[in-house]
Amino acid sequence: MRRAVGPLLAVTVALVLADSAVVTLALPDILRELDTTVGQVAWVLISFNVVLGICAVPTAMSLTRVQPRLVSAVGIAVFAGSSAWCAWADSIEVLIVARCVQALGGAFALLGCLELLVAEHGERRGVAAWVTAGVIGTATGPVAGGLLTQAISWQAIFVVQVPFAVLAVPAALAVRAEPERTPDRHRPALLPNLTLALLSAALTAALFLLVLLLVEGWRRDPATAALTVSVVPLAALAAGPLARLLRPPHAVEVAAGCFLIAGGLVGLAIPPAAHLAWTVAPQALVGLGLGMTVDRLTAHAMELRLPRVRHAGWTIGARHVGVVVGLAILTPVFTADLRDAEAPAEEAIAALVLDAPLEAQEKIAVAEALGRELAGQEGQVPDLRRAFESVTVEPERRPALARLERDLDVQLERAATRAFRDSFLIGAGLALLALLAVALPRLRNPGVTA
Amino acid sequence: MTGGLRMVGLPAVALALVGGVLGVQLAYGGGDFEPLRPADPCVARTVTSQSEGIDALTERLVLLGIDGAACRLEVSRERLTLELAEGGEPTEAVVEALRDGLLAAVRRMEDDGTLPPISDLVDEALDNADLNGLLEAAIRALPDSVIDAALETDDVLTRAIDDLDLRSILEDVDDQAALNDQMEAAVTQAVKDSLVDRLRDLI
Repeated sequence: MRRAVGPLLAVTVALVLADSAVVTLALPDILRELDTTVGQVAWVLISFNVVLGICAVPTAMSLTRVQPRLVSAVGIAVFAGSSAWCAWADSIEVLIVARCVQALGGAFALLGCLELLVAEHGERRGVAAWVTAGVIGTATGPVAGGLLTQAISWQAIFVVQVPFAVLAVPAALAVRAEPERTPDRHRPALLPNLTLALLSAALTAALFLLVLLLVEGWRRDPATAALTVSVVPLAALAAGPLARLLRPPHAVEVAAGCFLIAGGLVGLAIPPAAHLAWTVAPQALVGLGLGMTVDRLTAHAMELRLPRVRHAGWTIGARHVGVVVGLAILTPVFTADLRDAEAPAEEAIAALVLDAPLEAQEKIAVAEALGRELAGQEGQVPDLRRAFESVTVEPERRPALARLERDLDVQLERAATRAFRDSFLIGAGLALLALLAVALPRLRNPGVTA
Repeated sequence: MTGGLRMVGLPAVALALVGGVLGVQLAYGGGDFEPLRPADPCVARTVTSQSEGIDALTERLVLLGIDGAACRLEVSRERLTLELAEGGEPTEAVVEALRDGLLAAVRRMEDDGTLPPISDLVDEALDNADLNGLLEAAIRALPDSVIDAALETDDVLTRAIDDLDLRSILEDVDDQAALNDQMEAAVTQAVKDSLVDRLRDLI
């Protein structure tokens, strides 16, 4: 049992931070199953990040007075219980409330585990394990959520967390750690936390928008989308060896990481076609950037600052407030852009139907079927398959009808891709702001590090 | 590794990676992956049809007519088509633009020699018309040259378009039966008027 304590605590940290974005790929299923609206379903994601962002610092303060193992155990138990509650939620309101409780328990679990990992492995290794587990959780959350949604259901995302968390409760209780009663000696590290917040907003753009583009825009299933976005965590693993090879100073590494994330987001904004392969290289850039920034900035924000747990709380707060700010900026932009994309998409569809090599009556039949189908799918990228299944043409013109369906699908993919462009570019802008936050103080005063 | 290399090594790699990825994407058309832009309706386009006979003539006439109307209204052909397909009461400007567009389409087809002689359409028109059997047989017995001498396609079409109640057609655009009735009535009346005028000229 003793040897499993460290890994179980690290898994708990990864689970809590994965929950920040784990439901991204499940949102369309939740929307359908709980019969809710797009605006409400977004709160399944937002509520968790708001509560975690707001509660992180007060939670950290409580850890300087109470036994960390008790705080951790209670936090993990609340996290496990509310995860089960999420799985059994039968309305969107219940799910959102359960997600808030889950984030509250998660905040106690996350910061308590930091103290326990330090007690278990020592300061340096304990903090490193906590930071690394957090980055892995953040990067793999959407992948795991997508695979579970496709293989089982969205409820499975929450159910699988319960046994891990249940096992982590005795693991937390097994670690003896005293509350860190060090007086507040240092102010929060402003620049690293600001950079973390900006990067979190940018990374939200990368992961949240990309999975939406893949599932809603390009109509790929959640498992395919999940496997596609797994490029990000895989590329993040390559960041360490690259940095060790070139051994850049800390601030240079973070600045290069910000630039890579910005470049990757610009790449995601301008794919030449709606093919998954075109997202791989931009995602690799984002992943490399993620691997060079988030863990370095988190460690830097906590380095030599006491009490440690309070500064860890600031990093969690900054990251999750960043996610919320990212969602708050990007959601209205891409929903408005999706709405604006309807007119050019309709015109492109009308042009192709009018010029299709079909008889006049067949064109009218196609137009009527498309009209019926589009009216029933307002507010989302439509699926034209059913419309075409309902149209009958002479056998010699079936290939022309099939070609028309393919051409219309391409037009819809083009319209959806165009609708996401501005949001990805805003994400790139946020990453460049993070780069400025790293670079400007150094340019003014070479002695300052990010 | 020297201090200078440590400072510039990773930024140079990052720059090369970002430049390479964005360069390849732009070279393959990244940034231009957008929906098809509607063509300028004022630029004459070639219109073909997979249909035959009256259907083909009607389709080409309508497609060219909508182009002309869209050009007059300064909207795309596709936007006008979508607006017309929605039904509802059309504005006077839309009705007039559509009529002008259809008349211009007749003139264009006449000019480029794509209007079929009326004799090519008579058999199909008689199949669909509810005429007295004796009269129908008499018309079918007429030589093509007599029919083409008596009736000119552009004249019949122009009269039919002038006679058409476009406003009511557009209001009931989904009602195929009503549309056919109106078209048939307008074309029959146009044929009668054209024949009467021709006889008047002869007398």
